[in-house]
Amino acid sequence: MSSFTPYTYFQCPCTEASLPNHRNPSQEEPSSSDDDRTFDPRAPRANYSLYPLEHLFYCEDCHQIRCPRCVLDEIVTWYCPNCLFEVPSSSVKAEGNRCTRSCFQCPVCIAPLSVSSLEAPPTGLGYEYAPQNGPFVLNCGYCSWSSKETGIEFEKPNGIFAQLARVKNGGEPILTAKERKKDRERKRDFSGTSAEKEREETPEVEIPREPLDPNEKLDPESQFSNLKAFYQGQLAEASPASALGFTGDYGYGSPGALSRIMGLYTGSTAFDKKVKAKAGTMREAQDALEGLQLTTISEEEEALTKLRTEGWHCTSSASQRAEFLNTNAQFITELRPVAYLLRTKRSKRCRTCRHILSKPESKVSTIRFRIRLVALNYIPSISIKPLQPTSSASSLLQPMRPVQFLLTFKNPLFDSVKVTLATPTKTPGRFASKVTVLCPQFEVGANTDAWDEALREGTGEKRRTKAEASEGQHQAEAGKVWERGRNWVSVVVEVVPASLHIGGPEFLKNEEMKDDEGPLKEDEDVCEIPVFVRVEWEADAAHDESGLGGGGSKEKDVREKRELAYWCVLGVGRIAKV
Amino acid sequence: MSSKRASMMPPAPKPPTSLSSSLVIAEHASLTGTKLITLGSNTVIHPRSKLSSAYAPITIGNSCIISERSQIGIQNEPDEEEADPVVIEDGVIIEVGAVVEGKRIGEGSVIEVNAKVGRGAVLGKHCKIGPLCEVAEGEVLPDYTVLFGNGMRRIDNSGVEDLKMKMVARQVEVLRKLIPSKIAKFQ
Repeated sequence: MSSFTPYTYFQCPCTEASLPNHRNPSQEEPSSSDDDRTFDPRAPRANYSLYPLEHLFYCEDCHQIRCPRCVLDEIVTWYCPNCLFEVPSSSVKAEGNRCTRSCFQCPVCIAPLSVSSLEAPPTGLGYEYAPQNGPFVLNCGYCSWSSKETGIEFEKPNGIFAQLARVKNGGEPILTAKERKKDRERKRDFSGTSAEKEREETPEVEIPREPLDPNEKLDPESQFSNLKAFYQGQLAEASPASALGFTGDYGYGSPGALSRIMGLYTGSTAFDKKVKAKAGTMREAQDALEGLQLTTISEEEEALTKLRTEGWHCTSSASQRAEFLNTNAQFITELRPVAYLLRTKRSKRCRTCRHILSKPESKVSTIRFRIRLVALNYIPSISIKPLQPTSSASSLLQPMRPVQFLLTFKNPLFDSVKVTLATPTKTPGRFASKVTVLCPQFEVGANTDAWDEALREGTGEKRRTKAEASEGQHQAEAGKVWERGRNWVSVVVEVVPASLHIGGPEFLKNEEMKDDEGPLKEDEDVCEIPVFVRVEWEADAAHDESGLGGGGSKEKDVREKRELAYWCVLGVGRIAKV
Repeated sequence: MSSKRASMMPPAPKPPTSLSSSLVIAEHASLTGTKLITLGSNTVIHPRSKLSSAYAPITIGNSCIISERSQIGIQNEPDEEEADPVVIEDGVIIEVGAVVEGKRIGEGSVIEVNAKVGRGAVLGKHCKIGPLCEVAEGEVLPDYTVLFGNGMRRIDNSGVEDLKMKMVARQVEVLRKLIPSKIAKFQ
């Protein structure tokens, strides 16, 4: 069995409607409801509200813990993780969220590709300054894939993205969307009706290009652009613009059409006739120029013969095809280099008060934060370690044998805090372990300067250190703090792990056990203790709230009482199966 | 006071060697064993690289680069019959910490950092064994095989072998300037 590391998770109050500090005492019966509200770390919903302290924020305005679920993300910058180029959001909208410079990932093994020349490097005097001349290829340093394998070479070593967009695997040029549009128009004119237009076009100097093949093989992008153009044309024809420039009321995508679709099942037949009449005017794409790709038998046969001759190794794997560009690539030779996906830097806001909780520096190369209100700086951290170090090989908890754990609370605040702990006497779940916090109430010192503390020590402040503790007291004592430092306090928790025995005498079983006598489930042997932590401290009166009031000078000295209460879950260990 | 304690043992006997005069071999390279070690011309042996011919002879071709902490030769005693000699052909790069016990390493191959080539394995020409990859004992890899990642392999058809060989030659030229050669120590 793998070793178990004790953990502490904090519950963010955002998921709980019956939040302890939001509760309204007038509505509830005092005694019984308290027990009901014991936080159950095993409840299926608990997974969504428990976080390690490091993942949490603290909103200074709401005085509340904020988890990744109750913050709003805002994108500060887009950047390429490979070249660290900051991409303006306008060009992200226009060109998509991939790096449009020369950053590519290997389609075979996702390592970054580098551009290199196929020519031998220049030699002789001053060769460092001599320019490399092409052709250039993309090269993977890890699996030594090269774009030459798929027949792609470049003329220039920079602006690879633009160059790659113009060439197919195998080296044939790709028609750009613009050229395609032109061709489409030309084709429509040839096949079409207006002889005048044809006459208009003839004087234009056009690059002689063979007419587009209606059965040509399209790459996904041009297929998409063809399809889009075709259906846009269809839509425009289906709903001719009125004189005012508005499309007709029954056009596709109009409010009328939407309400008709909504009414399909409720049986409103008012529009049905019109719909049928309209539907006749739409047709589907018929050839490659309109974005239809037919699979021909010869293609399939080609693929089959290729499989037969080159074997399994020439096919692409599922993970390679998962990339957007390579969805249809059956063979390794059809794979294309993948441009790097852009990354973002995000700032986070509190959902309730819109206060910024975290804001990174917008420059890509810096990793500093302008604002960073992390919970780690506001609420005491809790660490767990066993009181008696177990040297034995099994780190498992022995059922029915009391174990003591040290909980160390470390205060990050500059004021001393009062901590109150509350635990249910038995952990929730089928296997109820008994839990006792020996010292449920204590004060943790302020996080002052370590040097100040050292000087104060000289003046003879009484502080119980570990040495003293080991002199006098070997046994943890109820109501007493085990150990205390400058800004930390350790208290002892005693746990009597439950037995994982399923069957047994009826009187030993708790309710849940009676309900479910199935075999041990996954992780049910982990002893998790819900702890309700209440932290109280006196802070300087906040400038934002009370400071704004009238008597400013008077209130400067006023200390404001703060309190924060939240559930934690302590995972102390696995219980041994006997 | 010298901090180094000299060994009381007599130095181990030098293995018989056949060294090319244009070889670059660092003083701190270690050649051990009892069988013949042949090193070709223009080959670079980095300091702290270990060539052990205790169980089988080693032959290294021309223009090879053997990096530091790499181990060439059969490392521990063969079970029954005599182990196959280790032959490394021309233009092979053996990176830092690689262990090579193979029977034949084909021309222009690259054994990357901390990779392993098992005993009796045969690598074709221009193979590349990725970092931390392993070639099993007795395995035969065809020419242009690339081993990478978690046991993935492919055949490289990029056709830039000539260019790579030229680059190896240039790398050797640079290393020749950087590493002082002490052939005499090993002859």
